[in-house]
Amino acid sequence: MIKFINATKKYGRKVVALDNLNLHIRPGEFVSVVGRSGTGKTTLVKALIGEECLDKGQVMVGGWDITRVRQSEVHILRKQIGVIFQDFKLLPNKTLYENVAFAMEVCGKKSSKIRDIVPQLLKIVGLQNKVNRYPHEVSGGEKQRAGIARSLVHQPKILLADEPTGNLDSINADEIIELLLKINKFGTTVVLVTHNREIVNRLRKRVVTIENGTVAHDQVVGKYVL
Amino acid sequence: MISFLRIIRFSFQDIIRNIWLSLITISILILALISVNVLLVLNLVSETTMGAIEDKIDINLYLTQDAKEDEILALKAKITNLPNVASVGYISRDEALVSFRSKYKDNVEILQALRELGKNPLSPSLTIKPEDASNYKGLIAHLTNLDEDIVEYKNFDDHEAVLNKIDAISKRVNKVGLYVSLVFIAISILMVFNSIRMAIYTHRYEIGIMRLVGASRWFIRAPYLVSAVTYSLIGVLIVIVAFFPFLTLLHPYLQAFFVGYEINIFTYFTENFAIFFGLQFIGAALISGLASLIAVAKYSRV
Repeated sequence: MIKFINATKKYGRKVVALDNLNLHIRPGEFVSVVGRSGTGKTTLVKALIGEECLDKGQVMVGGWDITRVRQSEVHILRKQIGVIFQDFKLLPNKTLYENVAFAMEVCGKKSSKIRDIVPQLLKIVGLQNKVNRYPHEVSGGEKQRAGIARSLVHQPKILLADEPTGNLDSINADEIIELLLKINKFGTTVVLVTHNREIVNRLRKRVVTIENGTVAHDQVVGKYVL
Repeated sequence: MISFLRIIRFSFQDIIRNIWLSLITISILILALISVNVLLVLNLVSETTMGAIEDKIDINLYLTQDAKEDEILALKAKITNLPNVASVGYISRDEALVSFRSKYKDNVEILQALRELGKNPLSPSLTIKPEDASNYKGLIAHLTNLDEDIVEYKNFDDHEAVLNKIDAISKRVNKVGLYVSLVFIAISILMVFNSIRMAIYTHRYEIGIMRLVGASRWFIRAPYLVSAVTYSLIGVLIVIVAFFPFLTLLHPYLQAFFVGYEINIFTYFTENFAIFFGLQFIGAALISGLASLIAVAKYSRV
């Protein structure tokens, strides 16, 4: 599903973000990517969504070599990879329903399909009673749920969660992780980039530890080892 | 079709939801367009002024006192046929005397001297108006080469000096006009460019999210392009509505100033309406469209 082959990325001459990193994530896996700040996790995420190009090596997503993905093709890639962020990235002047629908509208989906799918997604994430609330009217956990609903509108094969619990309390964080596990059960590959030791240890899933831009540990049922 | 209608909807939503920003952008476009139109008015005024000055240019050919009427008329016909001659007027000795008396009617000494002479001392003359004041040198060369016994005086040095000065002024006015126009246009372009970029800067977050959720580059850019064209259209329409009453007010003052010369600022703008305002709309839409494309490209990286 996802392959990083000898992935290398430098910022300037001295900062090495990725250093000959090799990683293979199979379809349907739930993988936690952990590591200290500045070890290359963010660069890994950016390379996956086509925001950064590698200096050397290859990135493959579902057999598609996206190493030198063209700007005109990025939108195709982003429909295949759903992304959620620590800061939710919701539009403040739109309701939760409108935020989710927006992702379908800007991709030219039919209104009837939007009316059909958006309520279903909001129900899956447990927001069916808050569809008309604005982001400032709901909790952090609910914002992240709306972000997850939005990330699923294109039925992506991969869900990339970049520090999704970073702004949440432990109860909300647990709920979000439960949701990610539920999505993973339906067959979506989930890549969780996190700092949260407790969550990673409780998951008992594959853990990839990154140090100095390369994979330091890769455990099938792993723990947070830093 | 769905995408096209959605682009229009997004654009109009954006204009209305950010109404103050939209109004500021349109106001800046209007200011820029007004400065362009004021420039057009100044251009017409300067053209009319130069035309009026050039209209004053004529060359007098003084003839001998005993020149016969038929010889003078033959010479007049000959000069009329020369290149770059707009018209040739004939002033007989009697007409010259009447004009002289009228000119010096308050100068008792000159009139007394004229009476003491007892005869008309003035010569008949031909007044030649060149067709194109900037090409008078050729005409003077032709007149200098005239081999006619009835021509009394053929030295045009004074004329040449004056004509050279007028020609220099005309060229300088055109040059200054061009520079002022260029500066105005450059300022207008910068104003419009920056106001559109500022408007899009406020949307950088939304643009980033559109890109993040898989919108194509075209879909992200199109609503802002439609907004840019809409701002330009509204701007040009407001300028048209505001500018014509201004022209109606200005018209009598210009006519009074250029009395005797044809100047109609209202006709100038109505006759060139499609060209002037069409080009202004195209120019404004191109500049604002380009600015929006550049700004969107900058903020669509997430």
